[in-house]
Amino acid sequence: MSKALEGIRVLDLTQWLQGPVCAQYLADFGAQVIHVERPVTGDGARGVRSIKALPVGDWNQYFLVINRNKKSIAIDLKKEAGRDLLCDLAAKADVFLSNFPIDVLRGLGLTYEKLSEINPGLIYATNTGYGHAVEVNRPSYDINVQALTGIMTRQGEPGQPPIYLGMGSGDTYGGIMSAFGILLALHQRRRTGRGQYIDASLYGAQLFMGAPTLQPFLASHNPFYARQQSRKNARNPLWNRYQAKDKWLFLCAENTDANWSKLCGTLDAPDTSGDSRFSSPESRAENHVTLVEALGAAIAETSAQEWLDRWQRVGLVASPIQNLKELSEDPQAWQNDYLMKTHCNEVDREVEIRGLPVTLSKTPGSVETLGPELGQDTEILLMEVLEMEWDRIEELKAEGVIP
Amino acid sequence: MSKALEGLVVVESCSEFFASLCGAMLGDFGASVIRVDDRANPRKIDHDRDGLHPPERWNALDELAHRNKQSLALDLGKQGGREIFDKLIATADIFLTDLPFAEQEARGLDYDGLCKLKSDIIFARASGFGPEGPDRDLPAIDELAAARTGVMPTLVQPGQPPVYTGAGQMQTTVMLAFGIMTALHHREESGEGQIVDASLLGGNMYSQSLDMQAYLAMKDDRFLEPVSRLDAGNPMSGPMYPSADGPWVTLAMPDTDKYWPAFAEVVGLDVDDPRFDNHEKRCGENRLEMMQVLDKLFAKHPGSHWKKLLAEKQLPADVIETYDYPVEDPTAKANRYILDIEHPSFGSIQSLGFPIYMSESPARLRRMAPTLGQHSAEILQERLGYSNSEIEIFEQDGTI
Repeated sequence: MSKALEGIRVLDLTQWLQGPVCAQYLADFGAQVIHVERPVTGDGARGVRSIKALPVGDWNQYFLVINRNKKSIAIDLKKEAGRDLLCDLAAKADVFLSNFPIDVLRGLGLTYEKLSEINPGLIYATNTGYGHAVEVNRPSYDINVQALTGIMTRQGEPGQPPIYLGMGSGDTYGGIMSAFGILLALHQRRRTGRGQYIDASLYGAQLFMGAPTLQPFLASHNPFYARQQSRKNARNPLWNRYQAKDKWLFLCAENTDANWSKLCGTLDAPDTSGDSRFSSPESRAENHVTLVEALGAAIAETSAQEWLDRWQRVGLVASPIQNLKELSEDPQAWQNDYLMKTHCNEVDREVEIRGLPVTLSKTPGSVETLGPELGQDTEILLMEVLEMEWDRIEELKAEGVIP
Repeated sequence: MSKALEGLVVVESCSEFFASLCGAMLGDFGASVIRVDDRANPRKIDHDRDGLHPPERWNALDELAHRNKQSLALDLGKQGGREIFDKLIATADIFLTDLPFAEQEARGLDYDGLCKLKSDIIFARASGFGPEGPDRDLPAIDELAAARTGVMPTLVQPGQPPVYTGAGQMQTTVMLAFGIMTALHHREESGEGQIVDASLLGGNMYSQSLDMQAYLAMKDDRFLEPVSRLDAGNPMSGPMYPSADGPWVTLAMPDTDKYWPAFAEVVGLDVDDPRFDNHEKRCGENRLEMMQVLDKLFAKHPGSHWKKLLAEKQLPADVIETYDYPVEDPTAKANRYILDIEHPSFGSIQSLGFPIYMSESPARLRRMAPTLGQHSAEILQERLGYSNSEIEIFEQDGTI
């Protein structure tokens, strides 16, 4: 099958998560992505085990999954010849992508001005921490940027600590945002023949991620939207999380009399459908605290599966609140290739990975290989892309520009 | 300044926020996005269906999801309505919908049907659970998908109810926009259209991808229970500590050796404290003790004290702010992540802006969300070539 982005060459000078995820989306759909790394240590994520901020396992799933389908070239950018080499590659690329700090890129002479002069068609894409408009020289990691958006203090029950939306939640969002931006710029280039500078920052993406509550807050400045809200205070008790005997459920029913009557029909408790406190949408909203409590008590008596069966029979929509084990066995995730299996050379066995969340019917994405070994494609890329002679490659090795 | 998607026509039939927002993102970059406001798939961004999002004086989510669009109110049940729709599709590049499969087929709005009208159409579907599998027909409700994703029980502190954040759907919105652009790239090269699907399940899964991938690799039961904030793997990367006056502080210094000297000075620890003087001790044998020490130290001073000191040292650590912060933050405004706008009905308001910067074809707010059917006559006349008298008849018989 053909690949949608075949023929697009991406110079991927990124590390850790957001930048690599962006390039991963492009690589999944067939772009040639060249991950540029420093010799010896490479992308910081190759050393993720030592930071102990997250568990890794016996294969480096952190690095290998987000850098799948990519090639790796090792270049010492501290040397002038290394920087020249990168400029030569940029001359032959469609996209230059980096999540290095702007001052580092400037120090390396890899500015938009310089690279676009070498290659006017180049899309120069950065993933900054805080946006292009104001230079902020402060390291940006997912959580310390998420902290600024206000989204964390909005989550969870009142009085509880703020909630981080999940390891890498902002980075992956910034990554897909950046991939979308790059394709916009490629589309524009088709008409103008010229590239441009784009930036998708961690801060910008994470503010957008807060839209469901941040946008109403912006509109009203009503502190309600900035604060934690208890599930016990939901004015529609039919749309809530309830703990069944063995696990939690998410019931998602609009507050209509028809849904109320259906729900009452499934309860073991004495018939509450005639209870005047709950007999209309307004009274259910008015007496929501009592009703959430009463439903909670009733639902706690019986198993989750029993409730799901009963609710399905009457046409009420609900879902079990799964844990990661249940997700890893969920046929819906496997049948859509959201989860996949592939061979991992590092441990020489089949492993399970997150797959392809964007489905194209005629030019689907694919996972051909997991992340590359450091610098594994250096020589061949120099020969193929730059048509370099072997003698010159030997010289570069001798000078320590490439390993 | 040009527009990246100049000339591109998107016809949209969506009712959910996350799906409509995808259309708005294409509109932000210059596509002509025409919402078909049809009775059978009405515009109902009711964010208060859970009773936790009381409506404000104006529907800010509707405004965001429908900015830069035109509205054509059409009765697709009428023969004339269908004829207008078909003519419109023949001019379109992209059809964007969150209709369930059964609805699409019943109403002749499926891919095969639309291909007959426009052979290279890109059919973009915002779905709940993806194109395959036993649950492909479940409705596109973010809560249902988030519940399946595995981390609602573990993002919280032990003993707390599972949390719903609403962030997963935001991934789906942009995944679909990316998928549309990928398909468009292929169409430009090959002349071939196709179906693009991005689901709430996939979006929620990717939003949690590191936790999920760690479980997939290790299948360890410890990933199934919430972990106390004072039991993190690295005391300087991820944990949160309360300050004296309420705001929490979070640290993101995974490489603790690099940041330790500056950080120790900020919190008032001796750089040579024998309990914490190397990475192995901090993240190994004395990990729990360090978190308890930090918990006490951060409680000594107010949030503003920590914010100032952490910024002075340019450390990747910060106070966990409320939404008041970005509202006032000049960086958010300078980047147009947050816009101050004059609304024709509501005066000076703020709205989320544009998360992507493009130097040559920047996103722009060209129009506010349309009222229902605001552009019906205009679209029929200018885009489809109907005469004034024909339009009048359509208006009278309720087709538009």
